[in-house]
Amino acid sequence: MKDQLKKLNDNEWILPKSVREGMKVDGKIIASEKMLEAIENEAVEQLTNVAMLPGIIEPVIGLPDMHWGYGLPMGAVSAFDAKEGIISAGLCGFDINCGINLIRTNLTKPELEPKIKELVPELFNKIPCGVGSKGKLRLSNEDLDKVLIDGCEWAVKNGYGTEEDLKNMEEHGKMSGADPSKVSEMAKKRGKPQLGTLGAGNHFLEIQEVTDIYDQEKAKEWGIKKGQVLIMLHCGSRGFGHQVASDYLKIQEKAVEKYNIKLPDKQLACAPVTSQEGKDYFAAMKCAVNYSFTNRLVMTQWIRESFENVFDKKWQEMDMQTVAGICHNAVKLEEHTVNGEKKEIYVHRKGATRAFPGQPVLIAGSMGTCSYLLVGTEKAMELTFGSSAHGAGRAMSRHQAIKSFQGNDIQKSLADKGIISKATNPKVLAEEAPGAYKDVDEVIRSTHNAGISLKVARMIPLGVIKG
Amino acid sequence: MKYKYVKDLTSDVMFEAYGKDLKEVFENAAHAMFETICHDVEPKDKREVTVRADSVEELLFAWLQELIAMVDIEEMFFSKFEILSIENNELKANVYGETTAPEKGETVVKAVTNYGYKFEKTNEGYKVTVSLDI
Repeated sequence: MKDQLKKLNDNEWILPKSVREGMKVDGKIIASEKMLEAIENEAVEQLTNVAMLPGIIEPVIGLPDMHWGYGLPMGAVSAFDAKEGIISAGLCGFDINCGINLIRTNLTKPELEPKIKELVPELFNKIPCGVGSKGKLRLSNEDLDKVLIDGCEWAVKNGYGTEEDLKNMEEHGKMSGADPSKVSEMAKKRGKPQLGTLGAGNHFLEIQEVTDIYDQEKAKEWGIKKGQVLIMLHCGSRGFGHQVASDYLKIQEKAVEKYNIKLPDKQLACAPVTSQEGKDYFAAMKCAVNYSFTNRLVMTQWIRESFENVFDKKWQEMDMQTVAGICHNAVKLEEHTVNGEKKEIYVHRKGATRAFPGQPVLIAGSMGTCSYLLVGTEKAMELTFGSSAHGAGRAMSRHQAIKSFQGNDIQKSLADKGIISKATNPKVLAEEAPGAYKDVDEVIRSTHNAGISLKVARMIPLGVIKG
Repeated sequence: MKYKYVKDLTSDVMFEAYGKDLKEVFENAAHAMFETICHDVEPKDKREVTVRADSVEELLFAWLQELIAMVDIEEMFFSKFEILSIENNELKANVYGETTAPEKGETVVKAVTNYGYKFEKTNEGYKVTVSLDI
């Protein structure tokens, strides 16, 4: 299938609908030639499946970091008509609103260095992380419902974060229209003990240093300077979101039969956006989005407390404000220009970041490599329904990575680069070894050169905490 | 053989589990899944489980999903699975394990997925192919 891609320019490739019967629209991949080489043929084929779904709007997008995922690659965007289209749990992903918060400080590397060996364990103890770690909050049923409906507004009312944080978060930390009555009891039971936990796998907390500024004006607006210490927090909606996704995949499999939707792949279970099943999923998914936003803000406050303990200063004195809070896996009803006409459409971003003009975009590198802060563009509105990449993208399976790398070696090679790391299990370091990922610099080159988001700053890690 | 891991995908793992009868294949599938989730878990505490589905094929899927959820809800890892009965697409089981601890944790299993899911009757009994999103 990959050999059927037609080069449009150095960073855009078209997968014409003529390549496979049943495709309603073209696919498009945003990637440099080098990046394209690393994309699996199977992942490209998955784009063609999605191009067959009812109400799909041209084109189905693959981003530079795309790799095979359940139903649709991670690193893909699919948009559907608000009348004729579908909504799908599989096209959103299991970890709903997996995302990143970036927190700034006014500290510099020389100020951090004498304290980092104290700071990393302090953060590791303060933030529950790893499979089987226990959360410190135990929500009541009433509080959980408030988290699901109000998102970060609940957090601020309860002393986690401030109004200032909300200003810089996508959706201001709350998607409206969330309805807890559409969420199963099982999901709620899973959600109650886990708010304020990092989880495991590719989720992490990193202390970073700004090494380069590419857009002085934007950096200044966001309070970012060369040499400054930042904190990046990557995690999601935990068992709550996984359960919402699993529950609705099942419901949507039944909906496919009920509404007689022809599917090229069972993994693409979905429901018409106008059906009860479709509306219910949207309302339940928003609960998981809000849960995840809140999860990150609760942990942001604990990060601040850890810094206060180590540096013996108030977090406000250290200017520890949220620079950005963004989602990777979410469905949004947004206004876009389709065939010259403005209309509302359901945009599914799976392993993709919203990149509206002027808004912050965060692209995390693999562990031990650099990450980037970028800004969204008009070009992204034209090309990718206002979306950009989300990370380096896996090149190697987790099992293969464990076989190929030793956790202790990875820790040592990070230490050789001056990066202090701490993980609950050395295997996690092996799973997430930089060699298991694609080259983030190439992902950035592709997104920047394609113009779907532009570089503002580059950061390198100084300390890494893994689940 | 009780089970084996057969395929690696970038964000999934796939295993096959076998059993001479239904009870055994359900037990072995649970063992296979928990190899990915945790290690060195003592079967100290018991929990009772009841799962229902529309078919035996769906029942195995639902059983594994139930166990994933129980790790979060009970805050326990499991290492012993005793299937008491499988009748009319309803399963009753006792599962044994201990309280979760990060040093015993391996990987978060997000979900059982439909990718390549197969439940087969074989000459030797049953075989199931399962993918886990991790």
